[in-house]
Amino acid sequence: MFVCRIGLACLVGQLFLADPSSVRAGESDVDYGRHVRPILAKHCFTCHGPDEDARQAGLRLDQQEDAHADLGGYAAVTPGDPEHSELMVRVTSEDEDLRMPPADADNALSPSQIETLRQWIQSGGQYTRHWAFVPAQKPALPSTRQAGWCRGPIDRFVLKRMEQAGLAPAPEADPETLIRRVYLDLLGLTPTPEEVQRFLDDSHPDAYERLVDRLLASPAYGERFARSWLDLARYSDTNGYEKDRPRTIWPYRDWVIDALNRDLPYDQFSIEQLAGDMLANATREQKIATGFHRNTMLNEEGGIDPLEYRFYALVDRVATTGTVWMGLTTGCAQCHTHKYDPITHSDYYALMALMDNADEPELNADPPDVLERRQSLLEQVRQAEQDLVDRTLFSPQGSADIKDAFGEYCRRQRQQVSRWRTVPPDRLESTKPLLTLQPDGSVLASGDATKRDVYTLTMPPLDGSDPVTAIRIEAMPHRSLPDTGPGLAFYEGRRGDFFLSELKLAAGEAPIDLGIGSTTVAGGGKKNGTTFPGNVLDGDGSTGWSIPQNQDKTQRLVIPLKQPRRLDQPWTIEMLFERHYVAGLGHFRIDVTTDDAPTANALSSDLQQQLVRHQDDEALPDSTRRGLAIAFARTSEMLAGDRKPIEQLRKQIPDPVRTLVMRERPASNQRVTRRHHRGEYLQPKEVVEGGIPSVFGSAASEPAASEAAESGRSDVDQPTNRLELARWLVSRNNPLVGRVTANRAWREFFGAGIVRTSGDFGTQSEPPTHPELIDWLDRWLRDSSPSGGRWSMKRLHRQIVLSATYRQATGAPPSEDPDNRLLSVFPYRRLDAEQIRDAFLSAAGLLSRPIGGPSVYPPQPESVMQMAYGKPGWPTSAGADRFRRSLYTFSKRTAPFAAFTTFDAPSGELCIARRDRSTTPLQALTLLNDAMYLEMAEGVADDAVRQVRSQNPEAGDREIATFLFRKLLVRTPDPAELESIMAFYHSQSDHPEAWMLVARALMNTDEAITAP
Amino acid sequence: MSFRSRSSKDPAETCHQVSAAKQVTRRQLFQSCGVGLGKISLASMLASDFAMASGDSGPSASAGDAPGLHFPAKIKRVIYLFMAGAPSQLDLFDHKPELTRLEGKPIPPSVIAGQRYAFIQPDAAVLSPRFSFQRYGQCGAELAETLPHLSKVVDDLAIIRSVHTDQFNHAPAQIFVNTGSPIPGRPAMGSWLSYGIGSDADDLPGFVVLKSGGNLSGGAAMWSNGFLPGQHQGVPFRSAGDPILHVATPQGISRQTQRETLDLVADLNRHRLNDLDVDGIRARIDSYEMAYRMQSRAPELMDFSSESDETLALYGTSREDAGSFAKNCLLARRLAERGVRFIQLYHAGWDHHSNVEGGLRTQCKQTDQGCAALVQDLKRRGMLEDTLVVWGGEFGRTPMVEASAALGRSLGRDHHPQAFTMWMAGGGIRAGQTLGKTDDLGFHPVEDPVHVHDIQATILYLLGIDHERLTFTFAGRPFRLTDVHGHVVEKLVT
Repeated sequence: MFVCRIGLACLVGQLFLADPSSVRAGESDVDYGRHVRPILAKHCFTCHGPDEDARQAGLRLDQQEDAHADLGGYAAVTPGDPEHSELMVRVTSEDEDLRMPPADADNALSPSQIETLRQWIQSGGQYTRHWAFVPAQKPALPSTRQAGWCRGPIDRFVLKRMEQAGLAPAPEADPETLIRRVYLDLLGLTPTPEEVQRFLDDSHPDAYERLVDRLLASPAYGERFARSWLDLARYSDTNGYEKDRPRTIWPYRDWVIDALNRDLPYDQFSIEQLAGDMLANATREQKIATGFHRNTMLNEEGGIDPLEYRFYALVDRVATTGTVWMGLTTGCAQCHTHKYDPITHSDYYALMALMDNADEPELNADPPDVLERRQSLLEQVRQAEQDLVDRTLFSPQGSADIKDAFGEYCRRQRQQVSRWRTVPPDRLESTKPLLTLQPDGSVLASGDATKRDVYTLTMPPLDGSDPVTAIRIEAMPHRSLPDTGPGLAFYEGRRGDFFLSELKLAAGEAPIDLGIGSTTVAGGGKKNGTTFPGNVLDGDGSTGWSIPQNQDKTQRLVIPLKQPRRLDQPWTIEMLFERHYVAGLGHFRIDVTTDDAPTANALSSDLQQQLVRHQDDEALPDSTRRGLAIAFARTSEMLAGDRKPIEQLRKQIPDPVRTLVMRERPASNQRVTRRHHRGEYLQPKEVVEGGIPSVFGSAASEPAASEAAESGRSDVDQPTNRLELARWLVSRNNPLVGRVTANRAWREFFGAGIVRTSGDFGTQSEPPTHPELIDWLDRWLRDSSPSGGRWSMKRLHRQIVLSATYRQATGAPPSEDPDNRLLSVFPYRRLDAEQIRDAFLSAAGLLSRPIGGPSVYPPQPESVMQMAYGKPGWPTSAGADRFRRSLYTFSKRTAPFAAFTTFDAPSGELCIARRDRSTTPLQALTLLNDAMYLEMAEGVADDAVRQVRSQNPEAGDREIATFLFRKLLVRTPDPAELESIMAFYHSQSDHPEAWMLVARALMNTDEAITAP
Repeated sequence: MSFRSRSSKDPAETCHQVSAAKQVTRRQLFQSCGVGLGKISLASMLASDFAMASGDSGPSASAGDAPGLHFPAKIKRVIYLFMAGAPSQLDLFDHKPELTRLEGKPIPPSVIAGQRYAFIQPDAAVLSPRFSFQRYGQCGAELAETLPHLSKVVDDLAIIRSVHTDQFNHAPAQIFVNTGSPIPGRPAMGSWLSYGIGSDADDLPGFVVLKSGGNLSGGAAMWSNGFLPGQHQGVPFRSAGDPILHVATPQGISRQTQRETLDLVADLNRHRLNDLDVDGIRARIDSYEMAYRMQSRAPELMDFSSESDETLALYGTSREDAGSFAKNCLLARRLAERGVRFIQLYHAGWDHHSNVEGGLRTQCKQTDQGCAALVQDLKRRGMLEDTLVVWGGEFGRTPMVEASAALGRSLGRDHHPQAFTMWMAGGGIRAGQTLGKTDDLGFHPVEDPVHVHDIQATILYLLGIDHERLTFTFAGRPFRLTDVHGHVVEKLVT
């Protein structure tokens, strides 16, 4: 949606002029980027813009050199002289034939728009570049009158602005306020009374600095800032849309926590998340990091077009990348060239192309303890099976009945096995997936797939004189496939499912008649639409062969030729996979046999090979007999009871942790990216090459370049793939990344960014309140010298919390600056949803501290899940998991944790650079009545009473009340407050848990949930 | 949720958004920013603007009285009966004898070329209407036999047989109808209304969500405030017991203790306000008072003893009934009486891929009486004049049959975004008409096509809102409910 409202853009601009943080000195009232360009873009560029084919009268208005050019005694724009500017003459002309825009364009300028153009030309008609697109110059530290107040560079910039506005900083906050503030801001936790006391007792001048360094080294730091990053990453534990089933991507969340704790420099932090898989010798962790862009939603609804939702996911990735690393909203350009910011429709798809060439597989991310546990259990199972066969089949004590049955089993297996020969296809074609031949002759599918795919395999001529009697398809697991396969299904159906609807064989053009065969899949009876072998020959796409259970083992389908025949000419196999979801076979092998009456046998290929090597009457080698014995022991009814303990063991084997990652596609299977007309999936147009938006292609050149590059882009530092894009985004060539990153950090501590429209630094964004400061921070962050920021987030946060600006007391902003944009007091702000819960948990001493792992389910009312599709239930965690940090709470997109949503936590559906901070009665109801918070109130009250009494058994109620207050709010209550609390406590003396009621009341105060 | 409470959202942002929504005088902008109240109802801010523009200074222009943001409002509130899963228009409203004639034959290739379907192949055979149709009322609207109750109120309805949408899967299509976009993350219609014109309810949210029936595909995205301030999110209500999450005081805490707790909280907050003088603290104090009012009023809202036996019988519900669609219809009327702006009912269970006949019988039995009763009840109470009732699903169903051995399906219908039926009743609606026409197969609209965005534009219009002018700037650009589309359906409105 796009509504161009130039008049109000001016209005907003004027508003800011009157504001203390108005437009920078030296700028004219009318700014080209903010005010003029939108008018020209909407009303003029269509015919007088970059598009050569559409250009009228040879006039361009999108670049200064053309607009100012002498057109034979006149110019479109004559700087300082609106009366002699053809642009003004034409837009104000009374003559309908002369007036622009033409009447039939239905695109008339309003009087205020015309006035804006006039003012702009009057003041010089300069095509300026929007400040954020110009690389920052390192500003000199300003001198201030009250220099003694400043503790560091940040303060010099902040104080300068205050002094310009006639304001003075607030006094420093008292130590109790400061320690609570810095704990909440750096760790998201409340300090314990002991920690507070230690700080208060520390008389060293650098006590605060050392406190800060301790906090920065705490593992809780990474958890605190991971939550903010996960807002941007739109992290969630479910897939979104209708079914919204769980996904495993918490290893990515844990990677973020770890990266922040080890202070991985932001440039590297970014590169690994965007393209860790493409780094040389990429580690498993670097691959896990690429989960960043796998946090997009996945529609699992039956019947969807999977490629349509892949397109939407990509749209999301482009938007998110723009917001996070460029502070730019690229979204408009999905549908048309951006009207305000210099991003063209083609730029958008060029950016998309850089991110388009990846597959989206799962990666095994088993933590070491899981690996170890699985290994040990597998060994136990193996041992137990050996013991079982030793005991029952190979020991004299074994029952004769069972031994007889085993003998019979061996005889039957030996009769049944056939000689199969693997035939690697000569040529592999498909309607969509990439089919590749593996060294063992099997075929592996990868890449995109649709609801209806056809594989066509061209098979080599087979030598030998015996006629082929049957072919066999083996469906095999593979680690690259969803849930290890064997199919490509990654949504709606079981992950790794497939559905072979039809099978056709042909010799040359002539079809080969096939008979109904056999399968190792259980329950393959005639009426079964999903397993009966005859389904693949019935001409009905809605019936087929698949593997409803035991898909972790190779399963087989044997299809006999009605007339055995030699296949001594090239022959083809055609497989149709048709389902209401993607259901191609992911890994399979084709075998043929010339034996009579072959059937599908469930023994392993290896064992089958061993059996056919020996004549029927020949004694089998021990190893083969053992193999058969294990197979027998796994299936024989007679041993069902003996198997139970082994099956129990097997159930304990932990499922593999498979996280979602990106994997760059092979050169043989590059994805082609097209421009989509109006942004619509169904309207793909011309192929687009990868590239960054042209406005950045020539960062150093003159303003006009922003428009110029639509026709051709600069070769300088032009990324051509995802890794290069990632590197470009954190390079000097991206003028925005340092500013955007510093701005986000600023917002974490001061509630609003230096640019308030965090996530949007485009021409329509609010100007920075401290333009020099944001530039200084940008340069400092990128500075790799020892005194520079070196992209360290910890250094940046340290720099901020050590500033005098940060240490000011909270208060009401002065009337001259009602929104406190100049920070002459520490800003009032409500804590985020997770901070509120974590602050109470830590104050209550309930917080459980393990870092990472699968998400947990703190208590919430049942009714929350009642609204969700399939009423999935909420398996409330027991024990310590009830009290994990809030970022570990299972995040379900379509039914988010209610206590968090109420406090404006995001649902993980969009990249959020700036959470809302609303104040609603539902928040009050939650803190008052939610059982989760009552439990915490009880915890903090019990703990307070216990601690006070253990120190002093004689302690009175006032001491308990005071201690309780300090546990929650850190400071000591003043006498009036204590009086109120005591009066309440006494009025509740009949209640068995009066202290809980006091704690509950304190937790509901404004102070408890706002930044101190 | 949407309350008329304050927000600590920073005022400069609010001003920016307000200005983006509508051109206002500079003086007004300064006034509203200067007082630093946080959230300002657009309507209250702009009411005088409208009055000046229209020359109307009558009572309808006062704030909180559905003044209309851009033109006079015809209604004050909306009850939206969302039939999730997509009812078959061909078996309920859009009678096509031609389907009987063509039964068992494929649809002509010229019709199905390029169409995408969820489950079936486009060349599937035609399935005849499952029920007999008859004309009802003075207007002679044609309805299936399974809608005996609705047939009694057809003269109060405008039936639209030519609605079409862009989406052919449930979740995106449902989210599309509710938010104007198929991708989760945009504000719901109810949130837009709360943002634009606030609510008349002092002790209830302005945007309430009720659900009955089976699974709801679109999830919380359908009542999300998206990027609008948090107080505009839809609040799910239950139709029995405690309607709102945490609205009941916990066990073991008496009403008096609750009041005393709130008094202590208020006392400590005022103490802090004296020290700090920050508007956010005032907003917090207000929010706790409103929470208490909600707690006090909730039992009264849920007390159905005041409803007569006759009324309960009209809806086909009882005082004990919990969670039925009929009960939700009655609760919707009670919410409407209490000033709630947007009452969203969902009834899920219309996704009849198999046995569309049996499925429709079941769902009609569950919903037909409640729908008709709501219209009748509102009418006799004089509330239909300023209430809009909307009925419809997320798309239609195919003229072709769905059958699949693998899925065990037969005699069903697949998703059909090209044409479906909705109806509206209430203030500003030209009732007693059947608008729009589809071709002989019911495949495409051939007269008066109405897009989902047109429906949205029309609903906003009836509330006095120009859908092109109710915008909110997020992430650098203005957004609106209808994206860049939508036209008010002139033939629908008076």
